Amino acid sequence: MPIVEIRSLSYTYPGSTKPTLTNVNLSVEEGEFILLTGPSGCGKTTLCRCLNGLIPNSYGGEFNGQVIVDGLVTTEHPVYEIAQHVGLVFQNPENELFCTSVEREVAFGPENLALPREEVRKRVEESLAMVGISHLRDKSPEELSGGEQQKVAIAALLAMKPKILVLDEPTANLDPASAQSVLNTLLKLNEESGVTMILVEHRLEMVAHMAHRCAILNEGRLVLVGKPEDVLYSDEAEAIGIGIPKVVQVTKALGINKMTGKCPLTSWSLADLLRVWKN
Amino acid sequence: MKAFGFDYKRGTSIIHILDPRSKFIYTILFTALTVYFVNPLVLLLVFLSSVPMVIVAGVGKSWLRSIRGSLFFIAFIFIFNLIGIFWTTGSVADALIMSISMSLRFMALISIFSVFFLTTPPEDLTQSMVQLKIPYDYALTFNMAMRFVPTLSREAQIIMDAQRSRGLELEKGNIFQRVRNYIPILIPLIISSFRRAELVADAMESRAFGAAKRRTSLYVLTMGRRDFFFILFSAAAFLAFLSLKILLGIQ
Repeated sequence: MPIVEIRSLSYTYPGSTKPTLTNVNLSVEEGEFILLTGPSGCGKTTLCRCLNGLIPNSYGGEFNGQVIVDGLVTTEHPVYEIAQHVGLVFQNPENELFCTSVEREVAFGPENLALPREEVRKRVEESLAMVGISHLRDKSPEELSGGEQQKVAIAALLAMKPKILVLDEPTANLDPASAQSVLNTLLKLNEESGVTMILVEHRLEMVAHMAHRCAILNEGRLVLVGKPEDVLYSDEAEAIGIGIPKVVQVTKALGINKMTGKCPLTSWSLADLLRVWKN
Repeated sequence: MKAFGFDYKRGTSIIHILDPRSKFIYTILFTALTVYFVNPLVLLLVFLSSVPMVIVAGVGKSWLRSIRGSLFFIAFIFIFNLIGIFWTTGSVADALIMSISMSLRFMALISIFSVFFLTTPPEDLTQSMVQLKIPYDYALTFNMAMRFVPTLSREAQIIMDAQRSRGLELEKGNIFQRVRNYIPILIPLIISSFRRAELVADAMESRAFGAAKRRTSLYVLTMGRRDFFFILFSAAAFLAFLSLKILLGIQ
């Protein structure tokens, strides 16, 4: 049974006449890593908010269809309940972190759940360790780099023990090195702890090879879903105007994918192909 | 905002680790003294009594900044009183003593509150409010307000820079025009603050805010022996000051 199921979801914000999402269907299996991308304003952020019930529970508006996460129909459960199944990481860590120490930040969620103090303590330790930031526990979020802040935000959500993490452009405000570090953390969480990932990202170069499937949203519709190589090498993807990775462009321009039948997603795999071809 | 001593930095001094509630008792008692007395010498004494705490806490730099930041107000209070009292009594000596008292009173207040805010982590303040049975929502609102002050001031700076680079002249015209010059700063600032508030609310809800009526706290504040002695000492000092009035009749 899929862990996330979106069934013919359409949504219009209150006061808006045009729907932001139109007939979106997607099902995600437990442990999958889904990369969601698309041009700005295509509805990615809105879709993220639908996944943990902020839409429609806190936003209102016209909501049709159904979103089921970990067996919960989002319209039938309050956000705080869904939050224990789906963690949502936002774009700008400045608005996500509001405590003066990393430890307290991570404790905020479990505290809200009114768990016993020992359990809160245990979850804080575990979450910090999972993200690899135990050494930052006493720092103030303001002293940290953007990448570290985003890791704190991720740890703060892991403390709620969600099976699914939804990340809305978590690297948008980060430099390439920090972005890579955050993305590696996500990959590790997915591979080692089996957390289902739904990652909204523009930096396709960095993430395409991590994902099991890639989905492209355009003007509120899910236009392409499939293996990352199939989606990114398709002509439709090129037409939509997402940042097709350079590797893909070069491979296509040289016709290597047609010649070898292989679709590399990283510079390294392309280099390997070329090396074989040269010999 | 830094000028008013909200510039909390983590510290490990004895003053830092005191329970906020005991520091609050000290603050209340000594605030009462500054309001109660008008004798400049007593007020100077009250002011000076806060200095050892500043030194022990090692927050001298921030404390000085608070005092320096309030110098303008102190000068204002001094001059205003001087003119006002001279006008009504006609006595230069009276006016001088009274305005010195008023300025000292203000300085003492700034100093006492600076000690409190410079050595109390915002969360501990929130936690002590919760333990004093103030609803968590109100306590958190207060905490958040403090947390977002630097964020907002940074944002105001960015908006000011943006509007200036589009030709807005903030320092132009008389006082009324100058106030009006700030409208193009205020409107974007207010709108972006509302948006930010919404995003923060989303982030809080995503972390199960409001799930339980009584949430747990990772840390619970407990009054220890040092708190007991600190309160005892504050109360003793308070009574000693009061005895000046009772025994010596100092106002």
